Amino acid sequence: MLSDFTRFCKLEEVPPGGKKALKINDSWVLVCNTKDRLFAVSGICSHQARPLLNGRVRNCKITCPVHGARFDLATGEALCLPATKPIPVYALRLVDDWIEVCV
Amino acid sequence: MSQKIREHTLALAPGEARCPDEPSTQEIIARDKVAAPVWVRSQAYTFLGDEDISIDRYIDPAFAKKEFDTLWTRTWQFACREEHIPEVGDYYVYDIGRHSFIVTRVAEHDIRAYYNACLHRGTKLRASGSDGCASEFKCSFHGWSWNLDGTLKEAVCAWDFPHVKADEFSLPEARVELLGGFVFINMDRDAPSLPSYLGPEFMAHITQWKLEDRYVYCHVYKTIPANWKLNMEAFMEAYHVINTHPQVAVSNADANSQYDIYGEHVDRFISSLGVLSPHLRGQYTQQDILDQFTLGDASMLDGADRTLAAGETARQRMADIMRAMFEKATSTDLSYVSDAELLDCFSYTLFPNTFLFPGISLPMVYRFRPHKDDHRKSIYEVMFLRPLPADGNRPEPAEPVYLRDDQSFTEAAGMDSGFAAILDQDTENLLLQQEGLEASAKPGITLGNYQEIRVRHFERAVDKYLAAKA
Repeated sequence: MLSDFTRFCKLEEVPPGGKKALKINDSWVLVCNTKDRLFAVSGICSHQARPLLNGRVRNCKITCPVHGARFDLATGEALCLPATKPIPVYALRLVDDWIEVCV
Repeated sequence: MSQKIREHTLALAPGEARCPDEPSTQEIIARDKVAAPVWVRSQAYTFLGDEDISIDRYIDPAFAKKEFDTLWTRTWQFACREEHIPEVGDYYVYDIGRHSFIVTRVAEHDIRAYYNACLHRGTKLRASGSDGCASEFKCSFHGWSWNLDGTLKEAVCAWDFPHVKADEFSLPEARVELLGGFVFINMDRDAPSLPSYLGPEFMAHITQWKLEDRYVYCHVYKTIPANWKLNMEAFMEAYHVINTHPQVAVSNADANSQYDIYGEHVDRFISSLGVLSPHLRGQYTQQDILDQFTLGDASMLDGADRTLAAGETARQRMADIMRAMFEKATSTDLSYVSDAELLDCFSYTLFPNTFLFPGISLPMVYRFRPHKDDHRKSIYEVMFLRPLPADGNRPEPAEPVYLRDDQSFTEAAGMDSGFAAILDQDTENLLLQQEGLEASAKPGITLGNYQEIRVRHFERAVDKYLAAKA
């Protein structure tokens, strides 16, 4: 079965250290460019469904700016309270300078 | 003890005896090619008595409770590095016992530490062990929120709280002072300033080190099955090296290390490396010493020529290698840095719970905290501080590695395996010591006058704080 990848944005729109959130198939997807890697995760915190876009990214982890829940960008794992559930992570690929995600 | 040594020791005043027939640390350092600075060349030992130290402090939960009430609430503690909170809004949660603080950068030069509890119904505003960035501190329960400067931003349904006056509902703060890139906090509003607490002699030392120009490149946590003071005291002397770390003694002047005390809250040892232990006199060559030299970060020595020429000393070769390697790694001129600073183990204790090692080959920071519910457990953290890269870009501080109780330090990513093995040896003694003290028929521990002066000095400070009323 072919994976269902969707164009997200041009790579240049998410430079190193950058983040971008877009709605794909009714899901908010957050792409982060950090530590020479691109990650695609849910843009919504699993704790109280607040946007993660303005969260701090450090060492490939993102912290929710509202209550401080922290998630591993590679696995989606919740790393501290108040979150106890992971966030979805999505496959990501580069095609002709476009970031594509599989949601 | 031989009759000769006994007579020699008894002829001196208590505390005056030193390892016989061996060079002192200062004599070792004085032979180096690149001379040491004044802070290395100073000596400040004082005899503090030779009575036993009571063991209740290690084994009695009531003693631990009293420490939480009278010691931890009144002392300056290293909460985080400034690099953990580089941007406005960044925060780092520091816990000590039941106490918890949000240490946050409110403005470029304004760092504050808020008691980490909502003023409505008490929920922690940020989870213990967490860090991040916030534009406000919002409680996850009912949503009360505070601005970064600690003022009340919103009490949800304010119509129901006419009795809440905004100017009385700012987040309470602990005191904060910055030193060498470290953020220190103190719950005691009446405590002396941090420079006064640490004393002028130590302040003259730390300002030479430029620790603010380093970054955390490795950070490891492990829970140790022993009282926090036992855990700390395992690192206060080189007396144990010959027995606990035989692989190190070949290149460590252990029994002739130097011990100094500075005021009530700071002490140190200098343990010279690249020099044979007095215990092993005549048993090893200079080449053996060089071959067994252990570093905090041995990767720095990759590719170095480690074969000595005739008449060359291991200590000088190691200093030369270290200088060349660090100059290459950091693109800086280290020709002015002394051999001792490059090689030796400088271990400072800042009461109550921090060790600073300002040397180049052993650039650690240790932090110890009691387990909040169990006086027989403590949390041991090891950080390594590297000089900033020559390009001036500050790397992110390392993500902490949390070791399980059954894991070896050698399993901690980023820690040199030889150094990690030393930490395993140090901490493997501690459960036996905790249990031995609990089993002992002897009510006190007995200390050497010189080599264990830091233990006595440390426990004197503990006693001072516990003698005060809560």
